[in-house]
Order: sequence, then structure tokens, then C-alpha cells
Amino acid sequence: MELIQNIFDLSDIPRKDLTIFGVFCLFLVVFPLFPHSSFAMATMIEFLMFSLYGMGWNIIGGYGGQVDLGKAQYAGIGAYTTAVMLIRWNIPFWVSAPVGMIFAIIWSFVIGYPLFRMRGHYFAIATIATSLVLLDIFEIWPLVGGAKGLELPLKSMPDFLYLQFRNDAYYYYILIFLFFFGFFYINWFRKSRLGFQLRAIKDNEEVARSLGINAHWCKIKAYAIATSFVAVVGSFHACYNFNIEPEDIMSLDLSILIAMMAMVGGAGSLWGPIIGAAVLIPLKSYLGSWLGGKAGLAGLDLAIYAIIIMVIAAFEPRGIWGIVEKARRRSKI
Amino acid sequence: MAAFGSEILQSIVSALLMGMVFALVALGLTIIFGVMNIVNFAHGEFLMVGMYAGLLFAKMSGLDTLTSLPFAAVVGFLLGVICYYGLVKYLLRGPMIAQLFGTFGLMLLLRNLALLIFGSEPRIAHHGILVGRSFVLGPGIVFEATKLTAAVLSIILFVTVSWMLNHTKVGKALTATALNPEAARYMGIPTERMNALAWGIGSATVTICGALLVNFWPVDPNIGLLFTMIAFATVALGGFGNIKGAFYAGIIIGFIIYIPPLWDALTALTGNKTLQGIQLFSLKYTFVYLAYFLIMVFRPHGLFGIKG
Repeated sequence: MELIQNIFDLSDIPRKDLTIFGVFCLFLVVFPLFPHSSFAMATMIEFLMFSLYGMGWNIIGGYGGQVDLGKAQYAGIGAYTTAVMLIRWNIPFWVSAPVGMIFAIIWSFVIGYPLFRMRGHYFAIATIATSLVLLDIFEIWPLVGGAKGLELPLKSMPDFLYLQFRNDAYYYYILIFLFFFGFFYINWFRKSRLGFQLRAIKDNEEVARSLGINAHWCKIKAYAIATSFVAVVGSFHACYNFNIEPEDIMSLDLSILIAMMAMVGGAGSLWGPIIGAAVLIPLKSYLGSWLGGKAGLAGLDLAIYAIIIMVIAAFEPRGIWGIVEKARRRSKI
Repeated sequence: MAAFGSEILQSIVSALLMGMVFALVALGLTIIFGVMNIVNFAHGEFLMVGMYAGLLFAKMSGLDTLTSLPFAAVVGFLLGVICYYGLVKYLLRGPMIAQLFGTFGLMLLLRNLALLIFGSEPRIAHHGILVGRSFVLGPGIVFEATKLTAAVLSIILFVTVSWMLNHTKVGKALTATALNPEAARYMGIPTERMNALAWGIGSATVTICGALLVNFWPVDPNIGLLFTMIAFATVALGGFGNIKGAFYAGIIIGFIIYIPPLWDALTALTGNKTLQGIQLFSLKYTFVYLAYFLIMVFRPHGLFGIKG
């Protein structure tokens, strides 16, 4: 009972924020009921996916302060588990997604144990290295289709078990469910024992250790939790896109995007990944469709993206949420 | 067997030459890290800029690609200094995460600007004194002139930079800034300018390397990441900030890259079907990433055990 109370307890958040978030949630829920273009729908689905990815990253990168730039490998593990299980044994999504999550968590323990002996830059580079190693292996592994990737078989009828629908709105509602699940999980997590321990480690690892916190083990646990978020969304990605390629789902670009959601929105806050995804994803897809169509302008959208990252990193490392909080503090004084 | 013997010799030669090139790529990274403890993710992109600068200069002037080296150095120096005053100066105030993302953003920006300007098709220098020349030493042992020049230049630059750091006033000021920036400032050393200088030198060495590399390595906008990772692995192996270490580490990385082709040659020789099935050639660079990971786990201060 107490657990349920803790999960839904948002009392430490200002009323104004909650109202805005409530209105936003209402908008999310009713959005498919109104007429919309399929492009807007695809953007909204991508927004939800990336806010979930970002929530996962936020656990280790935001609350834990460990900059992880290799999250795409777990999205890949989730996606490939779902795809391979569906193609080989016809296993539905709702079974294969948890299995993929377990695989991802096992892999995260295997590499997390040595990874967290490093700190700072060294850790960040090492996560890229592990991610690239896995990408290279998947590119030549025949079981997962090598560099060509895998194509998921289409069912003749829409099927809830296999997560195959004709209408994007169904995918949307499944993501909405995952979104709220993730949101309330993080709401619980940030006030849990591990959440406090992580923030202590982020602030000062030496002091945290001297207080008896097993920093190494805490980071590994948080890393595994972050991983499970990413793996589930990866599984969903496989079902939604019907087609996965290692270059696509395991690339460094995806890892960077995942980290950017939380970073731009505000790492280490509950709203950060949601704000980041809400700003960056529409920007990305509209810029992409606007500029991508024009010949000779390929790369301009990502260059604009890069400038945003640089400006945020240079002037407000705490992201958009940091700007909001700063403005508030100023208005109070 | 004789064929395999010469294959080994050829691999050793190639590994040595490529290793020195990798060391030169890593030199700039280790200078920048040594002076201000910041990791530059855009390092491979600096190399790419050097490669394009070399190509463009050769094309515009109609001269040999070798003559573009000074031009590439100037471009690199300016690029480094601009990056320092425009971006890195602000990043240094923030937490570590900001430095990571800031240089990451720089990497994305340079890469996509290159894509925007030059397009995605790979380019390489087709003409030049060096291109296509080689010295043959015995059966199957070939020194390619392009790689040989790059290796020689690598040695020259390493000697110059370490001489400069140890024997000139500017070099001593740089070393002082690296050891203790605050104390250096009290001694009247303009640390801000020293940092900018480190970025300029670090970036100039890598663009020179790029201008030479383009003689035998096609350049495309996405080439940076590979070299960034190679440079990270090299610097990690040599100890972060350790210049002499970076040179030896580069050679070791060169040998690591030639493990997969040697393995493939060996399995082809044995004729064992199951062994032949494991073709490692496409995993050429995976070994570098793996090497970085293992070095950082087991020898965080580099192979030579010197704290950076």
C-alpha cells in the first residue's frame, strides 16, 4: 500500500508544474481522436519513444552522473531479440520484449562490472567502444541477418499479441501506456534508496563511499535499470518499423540522440527527458522533412542540432529545465 | 610457407608504418589532454578537416599534395584556436558532462558541415609525387612511399614537439600550465593563451597528418569517428597526456590492427575449414575498440604505468 502511495506521490512538485504536466498528458491521450496527418502521428510516436529512451538514460546519466554514450547497443539487443524470436519461433511481442530486456540486463551486468571501474571521460569513451564492438559483431553475425538486418514477417490480420496494427493510433496508445509506466516508475525511483544513493555518488563519490555506499554496485544496478527501459523501447521499435538494421538501431547516432534528450531537457530532473524529447524530436522531424527534401542540403539539420548542443553545453549545462529553474529563483528574489 | 613468411614481414612493415601514423593522430589529443584535462571528441573531425584541406589546396594550386602540408597546418592551428576561444573556454567552466557534450557537438557540427559542403562520396588524392610509388625490399616486402613519408613526418613531429615542450620558454610555460594552472597564473604565465596554444598545436599536428593521410586513405565526412577511437585507444595505451607513451602506443595499435589479416592468412594456410569460417577481416577495427576497453579496465594509467 505504501509502495503505491510512493509511486503516485507527486507532492514535492510545485502545483503549477503538475497542472502543466496534467494538461500535457490530457493532450497526449486525446491527440489521436482529433484529425491529424500521419506525419504528425509518426512524430508523436517518435517523441514518446525518445522520451522513454531519455528516461532510461536519465537514470544513469542524470541521477547517477555517469555519461553513457552506448545506450544504442541495448536498443539493438531488445530489437533483435524480438525480431529473431518472432521470425524463428513465432513468439509474440509480449513474451519476447521481457526476454530481450533480460538479455540486455545480463549484457549490462557483464560489461557494467568492468565499465564502472572507470570514471568521467574514460567511462564515456568506453561505453562508445563497447557499443561499437557489439555493432561490428552484429554486422557479420548470420543469425541476425548481418549488415542487411532483419525484416519482420507481416501477419495477415492485425494482432495485439504480435503488436501489428494497421493504424498507428494503436501503437501510440501502447506507447502512452509505457510512457506513464516509465514516468511513475521514475517518480518512485528518484525517492527510493537507490535514487538517493545515486545522487550522493553524483555529488561526491568519495564522500558517498565513506558513508558506506557501495558506489560500484549502485552504478551497476542503475545501469541495468536504465538498460531495461532502452531494451523495451528497442523491442517496440522492431515491431513498429518491421525492419531493423544494425547501422540504424545500434549506431552511435542513436546513442547520442538518447543522451541528448535528457541533456537538452535537463539531466537529473523528472521532466528533463520529456522536455528534451518534446523540443528536439519535432524539431528534428520537421527540419528533416523541410531540408531533407532539398538537394544539397543534407546534413544541415544535424548541423543545426549540433549548434544547439554546443550552446546548451557551453552556457547552461543543466538544460532547458535548468533555465526554467534559474528564472524562477530570480523571480522569487 | 614462404608466402606466409613474407606476408608476416609485410604485415610487420605495414603495422610499423601505420602505427607511426596512428601515433601522429594521437599526438594532438594527448597534448590537449595533458594541458587542460579535457577530452576532444572532435579530434577525428580535425583530421578530416586536414584531409579536405590538403585535397582542396592541391586541387586549387595545382601543386603536389605534399606542398599542402603547411597550408593544412595553418588551417588546423586556426581551427584549434577558434574552437578554444569560441567553445572550449566556456566548457571549461561547466561540469565534466558539459565538456563531453560540447566537444561532441563540435564533432557533429564539423561532420555535417563537411557533408553539406563536400557531399558523402569518398575522395582521395589521385596525383602526386608519392601516390603509387613504393620501394621493394626483397620478395613481397613493400614500403609504400606515402606511408613511409607519413611515418617519417610522425617521427619528426614527435621529436619537435617534445623538444619544444622541454627546451623552449613557451614549452615550459605549457608544461607549467599542465602541472598546475593556478600556480602558473601566479607566475605570470597567461594560462588562457597557453590553453589556446595547446589547442592550436594539437589541432595543427593532426591536420598535417590528415593532409598526408589523404594520399592513401579516402576521405569522407564520416571518417572521423574511426580515427577518434583509434586516437583514444592510443592515448589510453600510452597514458593520458604522455607524449612519449603515445608514440610507442601508436605502434602497438598498428600491430593490433594487423592481427585480423594475419589470422585470416594463417587460417587460409592451415586449410582447416572451421577455422577458415572465422573471417576476422571485417572486424579489423573492432580490435581497437576492444583494446581501448581492456586497457582502461586493466591498466588505467596506460601500459607504461606513468600517471598522466
